[in-house]
Amino acid sequence: MSVAVAQTKSDQSGVYEREELLNGCQAVAHGVCLADVDVIAAYPIRPYTEVMDALSKLIADGQFDSEYIIADSEHSQFEIVKHASSVNARAFGGSSGTGWMYGMEALVVTATDRLPPLFVVGNRALDDPGAFGVEHNDAMAVRDMGWLLCWVTTPQEALEHVLIGYRIAEDKKVRMPMGLAMDGAFLTHSQHMVKIPSVEAAKRFLPQYDLAERRLHPDNPISIAPQINEDWVMELRRQNWEAAKRARGVIKEAYKEFNDIFGNRYAAPYYFDEFMTDDAEVVLIGIGTVAAPARTAVRRMREKGQKVGYVNLRWFRPFPTVELRECLSRFKAVGVVDRDFAHGSPDNGGILMHEVRSCLYPAKNRPAIVNFMGGLGGRDLSIADAQKMYETTQQAAKKDSMDDFVTWIGLRE
Amino acid sequence: MIKRVEVNYRGIFQKNLGKKIGSDIVMIASRMGQTAFSNGRYSDSPERNGIPCKYFAFVSPNLSEEELEAECGAKLEIDDANISVVLDDTMCKGVEPWGWHGVRPINERVVQDGCLLVVSKKKPEELLKFIGKKSYNYRLAILDGDASLAGLWVNKDDLTHERILGGIAAIDPAVISIEAVEAYLLEKTKDKRRADAARAAYESLRQEAKPPRVKTVTPNDGIVWTHEIPVLPKWFEMQEGAAVPAVKRGFEIGPRGQSRNAMFKRGTTKTQRPAVRFDLCTKCTLCWVECPDECFDPTSDGYYDIEYQYCVGCGKCAEICPVKECIVMVDELQFEDDHSPWEHWKKDSKEYIAWVEEKKGKERVSYPAVTGKGITVTQGVVMPEGKIVPVRKTEEVEV
Repeated sequence: MSVAVAQTKSDQSGVYEREELLNGCQAVAHGVCLADVDVIAAYPIRPYTEVMDALSKLIADGQFDSEYIIADSEHSQFEIVKHASSVNARAFGGSSGTGWMYGMEALVVTATDRLPPLFVVGNRALDDPGAFGVEHNDAMAVRDMGWLLCWVTTPQEALEHVLIGYRIAEDKKVRMPMGLAMDGAFLTHSQHMVKIPSVEAAKRFLPQYDLAERRLHPDNPISIAPQINEDWVMELRRQNWEAAKRARGVIKEAYKEFNDIFGNRYAAPYYFDEFMTDDAEVVLIGIGTVAAPARTAVRRMREKGQKVGYVNLRWFRPFPTVELRECLSRFKAVGVVDRDFAHGSPDNGGILMHEVRSCLYPAKNRPAIVNFMGGLGGRDLSIADAQKMYETTQQAAKKDSMDDFVTWIGLRE
Repeated sequence: MIKRVEVNYRGIFQKNLGKKIGSDIVMIASRMGQTAFSNGRYSDSPERNGIPCKYFAFVSPNLSEEELEAECGAKLEIDDANISVVLDDTMCKGVEPWGWHGVRPINERVVQDGCLLVVSKKKPEELLKFIGKKSYNYRLAILDGDASLAGLWVNKDDLTHERILGGIAAIDPAVISIEAVEAYLLEKTKDKRRADAARAAYESLRQEAKPPRVKTVTPNDGIVWTHEIPVLPKWFEMQEGAAVPAVKRGFEIGPRGQSRNAMFKRGTTKTQRPAVRFDLCTKCTLCWVECPDECFDPTSDGYYDIEYQYCVGCGKCAEICPVKECIVMVDELQFEDDHSPWEHWKKDSKEYIAWVEEKKGKERVSYPAVTGKGITVTQGVVMPEGKIVPVRKTEEVEV
């Protein structure tokens, strides 16, 4: 549970219409419905599948009107989403693990064509071996391609981030595809009570999608993505680079607007949540549902007088460089929890560790950093695991050595 | 010191020829103790029929291989050429390559006192009617011959490759010497004909040769280049999302009535253009229908004008036209501009017919494909105005 949820005012004069018990997938489907998405392309793969199931049921039951296309593969599915987006239709897709990777060509061009559909990624380990459980490498594969990429930790956040995601992605200053990632099983398939915003409030928050001069239409003839050479590519890359930079500001705007309508749901700086960090000496930082055991461990360790805290990173792209640097340089040691792998990388650490460490390099006060590889392939990360990670990080704060920089958590050894 | 040689060639038809010339310059210069390497302009798309492309060879007596490569190989286009070889003289009208911008003069890169070496049957004055002026002196050397298709797999070898090597030796022995060319060809091919062809070309381009075939071109020679070279937009001036505004829509009956892409015309791709006898036209529409580049503009009186700037000279219209002598492909160097043939005809039909018949020529040769045999028109009689009668005799010739 994020702190932000606890701060929700109970009644924002009817902006939340009703409450329902929903898992992460169903919550996303309700978000898509409230975003009044025009075109949905679907192709099943667990754990994403339940999103398309829930959407088709909403349509079948007459609660939602949208074009719903079943594709022959993820590649076609993502191409349909991209093309729908180019003709000014709000479009939605999603996948998991190896399905996401199979459609990668389409995912890359959606970013370079600067189109803003939203895709949900139910994080799943990449084959081989065939495994259903969560690992973040699938969504991470688009991290350098010009995508917006964020992780949510509850069904409530999942629903709300469909609206927030479209709001940011479709902004004229951004126009980038939005990857909404959530941990397979731990979020996709766990049910919570979710407050469902009213249609009116959702409409008030999320403006109409308007691609304007880039709308592909007979009245606005344009060519998209022609063959070009070295004399044009750099300028296009620079445009993507600038858009990713601009997105940071738009993300802040979007959360402020969301808070204005729905009550103070999210706390600044929005890109991440801090939990009990005010006087903390040691923190863990992680992505996704590991937040729950980590925060619980913090509460229990705090009871014993230990100054520990947790940072839940929500936005991975664009990376909140300045804010996170300012935040993490306050601590003596930072333990980075990676639910992903980057074999053979510097110090053999995970993707998140590299990003965090790189972010901290120019900081005046650099904390000690240790890295944890845990929860791979969907293995659970328990409160006890979190406590162990805190203890290791506390030890790292006391010594200079880089020995045992990476610790595997929950491994049979 | 670096000597830079560029070989301008026609896409696909001369691709292998251009590459082989570049390779052999490297081999011969290396045998002379020099450092050399060769590459093609990567942004070209040399598999496209007729598109102007370039191959390069670089030779240095003193630089290391890495330095030479850093100076020349790390760039996609060169700034200066000591020798600019032109394998098809119709490229003298300008080149608009696939991956470059604007219609550029063929001598654009030729340095002061450098040389433009053209394979042609034309005289220097005939070529200089099309070539842009330079602010300094350079040389124009003409190696007697037709545009060679010998590099294409199915075509008969015509020794153009060896003759170019001999020509380069005559123009600048510091790049490759004729002795080194001969020795290399003999050793590699064991075929004296090849070394002899190089030697003959060398002799024809020597200063002492009679008639002289190398002319000094002064700043007074050539034409004022009218094609603007586009300035490319900065990153913030471009449409985002790899989106390009389409050609403005519009269509009117008459010459140039169709909207076309002003940024890329492709007309320098052609070596021949269709010449039309409107008086023989039956208005069957086939040229207009079949043209892959939509170069034909319908006119108010039911004919089809041609916008030559966009014609790539594929010859499909001439092939599909059911009337003999109505559409005939003619050497591009016969034409000094791209004016509308239909307007010309409307203005003075008799003058137009005389003009177009003169361009078509009474003695025509079709290039020998595969077998080395071709067709020549031996007895030319102009078809009378408005009449369709069999008038020309043809026979097969060995070329």
